[in-house]
Amino acid sequence: MNLKGLLSSTTIADKFLLSILILLSFSGILFIKEVLPKGCEVQIEVNGRLVYVLPIEDNRIVSVKGPEGRTVIEIKDHRLRVIESPCHNKLCIKQGWIENGAIVCLPNRVLITIGNHEYSNIVDAITG
Amino acid sequence: MQLQDKYRIALLSAYAVALHAFESLLPTPIPWLRLGLANIITLVTLLLYGFRAAMVVTLIRVILASLFIGTFLGPAFILSLGGGVTSTLAMGLILSVTPRLFSTIGLSLIGALFHNIAQLVLAYILFIQRIEAILLISPFIILIGALTGTVNGVISDLLIKNLKKTN
Repeated sequence: MNLKGLLSSTTIADKFLLSILILLSFSGILFIKEVLPKGCEVQIEVNGRLVYVLPIEDNRIVSVKGPEGRTVIEIKDHRLRVIESPCHNKLCIKQGWIENGAIVCLPNRVLITIGNHEYSNIVDAITG
Repeated sequence: MQLQDKYRIALLSAYAVALHAFESLLPTPIPWLRLGLANIITLVTLLLYGFRAAMVVTLIRVILASLFIGTFLGPAFILSLGGGVTSTLAMGLILSVTPRLFSTIGLSLIGALFHNIAQLVLAYILFIQRIEAILLISPFIILIGALTGTVNGVISDLLIKNLKKTN
């Protein structure tokens, strides 16, 4: 059982198949996100009320008014962050850029979520 | 089917069941991700004793191993059965159409690829129904399949050479 004997028993078709598979899967890993429809949108809620539904593709700066004052959200390159908030602990700003998930600013009652909201109206649990 | 063939099939099935059951004990990051060690036995059977024996061994292996593990007729069983049968069919077909084109390693790769394709299709039809989730996971599954397929092919090749030497 030596490696040379093993290598000589492989055919060109073997090597071709293996390289095609590796190439395909690597390009799949890299490019599949580009091909897929994003379907992602940004929802901004203030005080439990939906005020904005924005596509994440568009770069823009949005300002919303909450009970404490103005919260400014920047959407850029499929990411978003809070750049200005009236709350004093500024946790929402410290959270930085997010690509998915949510940023919540409790003092100003602002909830920003990124996601495919097609599925979000399915309730899994109601508590409280 | 001769008596000797029955013994062989029984012995090979026992090996395959043992490998399948052992494999299911190994923790994996994704539930249906497997090393496909049992495919070694399928491939060896296919190359030494032909397509029918390989299919019988695969069916016995999938059914018995799922009974031992406790997944009989469950989702894992359906995925395992679909993957096993499809990969055996694919390997048998390639071997009968172009016997010299691929070596053992190439056949193992084909087996792994078709195993994965069948499982992804079945998972889509039966369980997940979200094409983007399947498409996202497919490249990873196929890449891992290519790696484990190569390793299994090497092992099968060595096994076949040693078996032929002892005979």
